[in-house]
Amino acid sequence: MMDQILLLIFATILFGVGLYALLGKRNIIKILMGIEIMTVAVNIVFIALGTDLDNRTFNQFTIVFPLISLAVGAAVMALGLAIVINNYRHVKSVDADEMATLKR
Amino acid sequence: MSLVVPIVIFMSLAIISAIVALETKHLMISIISLILMNIFVWAVFMFFHADLLAWIQLIVYGGGLTALFLVVVVLTEKQTDEMFDWKKTTFAALFSGLIVGILIGVFLVFDETKLTFTGRVTSPAGAMSEMWVNRPTDLIIQALLFFATAVAIGALFVKHKTDSRKEEIKS
Repeated sequence: MMDQILLLIFATILFGVGLYALLGKRNIIKILMGIEIMTVAVNIVFIALGTDLDNRTFNQFTIVFPLISLAVGAAVMALGLAIVINNYRHVKSVDADEMATLKR
Repeated sequence: MSLVVPIVIFMSLAIISAIVALETKHLMISIISLILMNIFVWAVFMFFHADLLAWIQLIVYGGGLTALFLVVVVLTEKQTDEMFDWKKTTFAALFSGLIVGILIGVFLVFDETKLTFTGRVTSPAGAMSEMWVNRPTDLIIQALLFFATAVAIGALFVKHKTDSRKEEIKS
């Protein structure tokens, strides 16, 4: 049971690190890295809540939901990085504040 | 020997790698740190016997997405370095720290035995109802946290809009 609490705390700290990047960084690449870290943290929470360490078994949703989350996260990352490159061709910058020019 | 020590070591290394990935100025070092973080998370998953998820996570995040990040960094190599903004960084660190502190407090204060699902769960709806029966306080706190996060992000958005309007008026 202690391991489960450890996993939850670990996931929470990782989520906080990702949230910090999301709020405090201006570089879009680092913001995307933060989102990736947050996705990994959520997957860890799935493992923490669904695992039975004594019997080494998992809840049936524990594996399936993180896999879906991984696939969706990968798609989001690919889309975000494509937007980064497209934006860089226009404004020659990866600063998130510069992306406001896309609206004009 | 208890497995807690190596698990804690790998968790600490993963967190340090994640922080280094976000704080270093060189994006190549960021990517290398991100790879390291994924490898340490893989090790943690292996300790918890989640082999399939560990390997897929390592292949997709540690391999594929890292290659994508690498391509993007190479294609945007002439960018200027990010300026360090004390105000924004302090706010982000405080806000993230507050949320992390509250969540860890919730995990530590409430009874540990209530944090596991029983084997009776057979559907997502069943999981939600069991969660509501066993951990209503946690759910309420999470809802409050989500609400606070939404309000904070909304306030940031409004502030950004106001600032940009002021700049437009000035120009």
